[in-house]
Amino acid sequence: MFSSPSTPQLQRPGHVRHCKYCLFGLPGTQVGLDASRLAIVFYCIGTLDLLGLLDSGSKPHEREEWRRWIWEQYVVSEHGAGFRPGPFVVTAVDGEDKSRSTNAHDTPHIIMTYTAVISLSILQDDLKRLDKKQLLSFLRSCQREDGSFSTIPGSTDSDLRTTYCAFAIFKMLDDWSGIDIPRAVSYIQRCRSYEGGYGQYPWNEAQGGTTYTALASLYMIPEAVQSSLRPQARLTDVERAQSVRWLVQQQTEAGGFSGRTGKEADACYCFWCSASLDILGAGHLVDESAVIGFMGQCQFKFGGIAKAPGEDAADPYHTYLSLAALSLGTARGATLPDESWKLEPLNPLLNARTSVAEWAQAKMSNAQ
Amino acid sequence: MTTTTTTDLYSDDPQWVDVTPIPQYDGINPVAPILYTDEYKDATDYFRGVLKSGEKSERVLELTERVIRMNPAHYTAWQYRYQTILALGTPLDEEITLMNDIAMDHLKTYQVWHHRRLILTQTKQAAQELAFLVKVLGLDNKNYHTWAYRQWILSHFSDDDLWRHELEFVDSMLRDDIRNNSAWHHRFFVLFEAGVRAGDEDREALARQEILYSKERISLAPNNASAWNYLRGVLDRSGTEYSSLAGFVEPYAGLPGPTASDADTIDTENPAPQPGARLPSVAALEFMADVYEKQGGERLADARKLWTSLAREHDTIRQKYWEYRSTAAGKL
Ligand SMILES: [Zn+2]
Repeated sequence: MFSSPSTPQLQRPGHVRHCKYCLFGLPGTQVGLDASRLAIVFYCIGTLDLLGLLDSGSKPHEREEWRRWIWEQYVVSEHGAGFRPGPFVVTAVDGEDKSRSTNAHDTPHIIMTYTAVISLSILQDDLKRLDKKQLLSFLRSCQREDGSFSTIPGSTDSDLRTTYCAFAIFKMLDDWSGIDIPRAVSYIQRCRSYEGGYGQYPWNEAQGGTTYTALASLYMIPEAVQSSLRPQARLTDVERAQSVRWLVQQQTEAGGFSGRTGKEADACYCFWCSASLDILGAGHLVDESAVIGFMGQCQFKFGGIAKAPGEDAADPYHTYLSLAALSLGTARGATLPDESWKLEPLNPLLNARTSVAEWAQAKMSNAQ
Repeated sequence: MTTTTTTDLYSDDPQWVDVTPIPQYDGINPVAPILYTDEYKDATDYFRGVLKSGEKSERVLELTERVIRMNPAHYTAWQYRYQTILALGTPLDEEITLMNDIAMDHLKTYQVWHHRRLILTQTKQAAQELAFLVKVLGLDNKNYHTWAYRQWILSHFSDDDLWRHELEFVDSMLRDDIRNNSAWHHRFFVLFEAGVRAGDEDREALARQEILYSKERISLAPNNASAWNYLRGVLDRSGTEYSSLAGFVEPYAGLPGPTASDADTIDTENPAPQPGARLPSVAALEFMADVYEKQGGERLADARKLWTSLAREHDTIRQKYWEYRSTAAGKL
């Protein structure tokens, strides 16, 4: 199999530059990210990490500043501890303690906590400041009657993304105590659609991103728990075949993957769908050359990767996920156009570079 | 999203002098700081002041609206607004009217729809929501949040009146765009999932009806994956053998087929491809291969022939998948 000779190089310096610009500051038009800044920080640091350019692309004092800023978002609330998206609702003034919740709405957020832990692991933080008991009680306080998890304590705002982030943290902690796993599993199963993918809530249309979060969650459950669940958490042979079919069907003539049947290819779904296939042991079914060709066209002229060819801007989310998809491809032995496309291997369940995932699990499972 | 119109700043407003604004504390070296507009900085400074004091008042409704219009993903502003509404006993229909306006500008923002769910849980005025959503889907007929919200309204309130016209609605959406997978999904949701009503016990008749519906739509657009996926869903759910559709599918796969001798009679059960259709259809080849695979034995060779033609000619991007199917066949 040959890649098209016209495939450009992976524009590594441009992607590093794009992410460093974003870490340095975002324009006012990006105010919609105010309540998810930590996720942006994760995509940016993660991009440097997957490219293997964290050390050469940033200075030690910069990495120290990133680490410090992330820890500033660690908050102990009455519902337990975790990370907030940023300081946007912190009401402490100069000199007051910000590591404790500064008002009733200043709470940790599950998705942000997941991105913080991975980011800190990339930065080789020892995670000693994490209070395991408090972290677990925060996560427990977010599980709802129907088995799903709300993003923040006491909210009804829950969907499969939050379940995934909670499960990833339990896996890293190697501690699932106090969580109703059967109920969480039945919520995930209720999100399965006739097409073989999963929707965001029960009854919704199959979508690539939520399919990834569903499958990764189901396959992160420890073996000992898996075997006692009825119905089983993992897919039956028939379900697996149906999901694999739907996932490969999302790869379009453009080379990338679409998020839903009949939609246009979008760079982020190259990760969500192909990582899902990896989880199901079917990653080898991806047409890697087509993905690489598509990514080549999604690269933005000023750095970063856009969601589709011809878009007028790139963003850290699509940049990181595109590289994550390419990492999986590298590990599957894809034929690369040249060395520039070779990336560090990735853990498809935790969505982190393999050694970062190992670091996170080692530090978290030893946390006190 | 920023406001281009200049608003009066709260810091200049005498009506807000009693509130102490709290600037955002962002550490010594903020990471990924946003270059806020003056309006956003001003409004969120006062919002933080209110969060600290716990004030719940009419002016807080105005303040949270201002924050939300500039940043509809500000989940705390939404949450605080909702609590304020409940505390004040604000008429909820007014809130819905305002939300109608905000939703139109921010269809893709999750929080807009979540807030609406919370309000509806109180008002239970579900019927008018369905009408509003028809309008919204007219702007963007595949908007995920809008469909998800419609599915929530129907399944959460679930009274018979609410469901009564849903099939008509889906029909009209599919008439407008036969390739709209969200509408196909919704059809399945209505007929086979949450929409199943007492008295709908004749599932067999429904399956027959929907198989025919799918066939008709496939005859109009033989390469529409959404219709084929729906058909498979109906067959799987009703336990209908794929082989019972072989006579319909064969012409779409470019196969003469064993039923070709009956082809001179016009078969309303099995609408034929339209002249000029792009055939063979990948989905039809796949379908027939599935039929042959299930039949097994000597038929497996026919299945392999189709998978090979998919891999080499008709659907090369999935070459590895079709080869895998061919290798795996008969081994399960
Ligand atoms: Zn995307």
